[in-house]
Amino acid sequence: MKPVFLAILLSCLAASAATALAARDSAAGKAAGSAPPTPPLVVPPATPPATTPPAPGPGETDENAALPPPSSAAQQLYSDARADLLQIRMLLKNGRSQSTVGSGFLVGTGNLVLTNYHVVSQMALDPDVYTGEYVDTDGNSGPIELMAVDVLHDLAVVRVNRGGSGFFKVPERPVKLAQGQYLYSLGNPLDLGFAISEGAYNGVVTRSFYDQLMFTGPINSGMSGGPSVTATGTVAGVNVSKRRDGELVSFLVPVKYAQELLRKVALQGAPPKDFNPLIGQQLLAHQRTMIDRLLDEPLSIKTMGPYQVPVRESGQVRCWGRSNVKAEAAFTADAISCAMESAIYVSESQQTGHVSMTHHYVRSPTLHPLRFAALASAMFKVDRLASGRDTRLTKPSCTEQFVRTKTLPLRAVARARLPQVRRAVQLYPAERQCRRRADQPAKPARCLRRLIR
Amino acid sequence: MNGPWFIETLARNGDVLHRHRVNTLPIRLGRGYDNDFIVDDDYAAPRHAVIEADPDGKLVLRDLGTRNGVIHKGRRSSNIVLTGDTVVRMGHTSLRVRAADFPMPPELLDRTMHGWEGTLPGLAGVLLVGAVALLTMWLTDTRSFQLNRYLQALAFGLGAALLWSGLWAFGNRLFGRHARLGRHLFIFGCGVTALAIYKFASSALGYAWSLEMFTRYASHVAITLVAGMVYFHLATVKPQHRQRFGIVCASLALLGSGLVLVGNQQRHGRLGDELYMSVLLPPAMRASRDHSVDEFMSQVGAMKAELDIERARKARDGGEADE
Repeated sequence: MKPVFLAILLSCLAASAATALAARDSAAGKAAGSAPPTPPLVVPPATPPATTPPAPGPGETDENAALPPPSSAAQQLYSDARADLLQIRMLLKNGRSQSTVGSGFLVGTGNLVLTNYHVVSQMALDPDVYTGEYVDTDGNSGPIELMAVDVLHDLAVVRVNRGGSGFFKVPERPVKLAQGQYLYSLGNPLDLGFAISEGAYNGVVTRSFYDQLMFTGPINSGMSGGPSVTATGTVAGVNVSKRRDGELVSFLVPVKYAQELLRKVALQGAPPKDFNPLIGQQLLAHQRTMIDRLLDEPLSIKTMGPYQVPVRESGQVRCWGRSNVKAEAAFTADAISCAMESAIYVSESQQTGHVSMTHHYVRSPTLHPLRFAALASAMFKVDRLASGRDTRLTKPSCTEQFVRTKTLPLRAVARARLPQVRRAVQLYPAERQCRRRADQPAKPARCLRRLIR
Repeated sequence: MNGPWFIETLARNGDVLHRHRVNTLPIRLGRGYDNDFIVDDDYAAPRHAVIEADPDGKLVLRDLGTRNGVIHKGRRSSNIVLTGDTVVRMGHTSLRVRAADFPMPPELLDRTMHGWEGTLPGLAGVLLVGAVALLTMWLTDTRSFQLNRYLQALAFGLGAALLWSGLWAFGNRLFGRHARLGRHLFIFGCGVTALAIYKFASSALGYAWSLEMFTRYASHVAITLVAGMVYFHLATVKPQHRQRFGIVCASLALLGSGLVLVGNQQRHGRLGDELYMSVLLPPAMRASRDHSVDEFMSQVGAMKAELDIERARKARDGGEADE
């Protein structure tokens, strides 16, 4: 019998252009809370280290050992800065017990404090349940009032009942930094006490959708919201996240976004009563920008065997290829996965703004057609969306059809699951998938591009 | 009514545990050794009752003034007229007395295929199970060929068949007269084969004619097939209760299907087992028309509209709940 050659092409596009729910099992998790949630499809490596969990998990605390011994510059800096350094705590209104903690710093001589959005997200989303307070390096505490949030850059401004000494200068113009320049990162790691750590500035990371600075130094949970300053006390960025799979690879929000937010606060007067609609607007704006940017140029075409598949490869969307070629199998499966390496943190259980697409090219010269069909069916059955019931989302919907383009017979399935239009989170589309099946080479189908619009 | 008479000790389900022949009246019953029929029951008196003929010639059982008395149909009475079907209870022992001329109903029609018992059907069942196990292994094994995996699949299949049929055979020996292992093996083999055939047929039909229903509600067909299998097992154990077993199995199947539906609805918010048909077969097996990309996209558009409506409705409900 002549060797049967069958090929199958499964393409899948998952555009979580809006809300994607956190999956439980993932290597790189956010360090906030005791149950760290992660974005669903592909693990974004940079996740907010956020606030200190009640009890640090194994492998989190040992990174303290990597703290370099403070140099004299750091000593000087800390003694100058300690008056303006704050710990920001989220408290459960009932019982006033802390639920998460992070850091913040007083800007100039005013009473405004810069911190991360993810530090105060509970207060912004559920003001009825959570309230906040600050604790300074002398142990004094006081209430905080949320003034403004920038969900996309993970920044927030809160007002406190004391003024700063003027040490932390947030310059009007962007700070010029040279690669390798020393930066000092301040905060309260793991709720252990205020700390300063030294590291080097290593340029702007364009992997995430919004620019972040790469800081080669230790940042731990609880330090997020704290400042990273130059030796002269000029704020270069705000501590936001670190890579869990790396060593000392941390990220800062560039200070220019903090400047913008502070300017907004200066203009607005009274803070909004309810931050939920505001957060919703910001996320919708993000969605529009993201989709526009993803589609502003045609998808690039890659060749997989006799097929051509569309992928989006850019600074934010990275493609990774893998194959099972060495595995002891009777078939060969190649896959290209393109995914954004970041997601927008909304709340502990919700991250959004994540897009990924995967193409599988499976072939086997030896498998009987029926066995190959069984294999293809098993690979085609991916039930990411449908698992679980979530009251925040509609139930999963699906459209399936056998489709024939000019050259290719396809099995097309589109699945979607949307968040409810409720309070902050009114986003669209939630998550969609398009899968294709083919048995002869051809041009890529149009459904991929159309779906994410 | 003429002698001899037969005193039968009955089990609760009516089976005769013991039969004793007595030639003359009166018949004395009790625990003592001076009785005509000795009742080995601690709750029966040494001289418990006596059976004699009354002036009309009917058999009457008379209580001899005991503590526990004689019970008929749940009520205690001192004199009970015995027809051949009267069951009386003395202590924990149920008794029935029949005369030799008691009329018996005609015999049941024997529809059992006695040629299809024992080794032959057992072998057929084992072969069917083995074939299904090997076929499943062959279809799903994507690694390079290794004999031990196939032998393992065969061993698992046969082990399951023997365990399942063995339990039924045990029950059959307990409640029927014979084990009938071969029969039960055959029934299991047929059931498994039917399940496998449905799996393949539904995949092929669903793929060829875009009939997603076949795979979407496959679990209900599987439940029906299993219920049918259990029915045949039960009917093998007690052939006289076929109708009752049929009703029981049908209700169990309905219950199972209902559970699956409710479970799917609760867990996934849909009634079907799967969101979409994942079967991919060779394209040559497609029989019905393929659609154009535009048709598909218009369907996606319709789905979007539906989702938007549901989303808005949920939001309204959620908003009301919030107030």
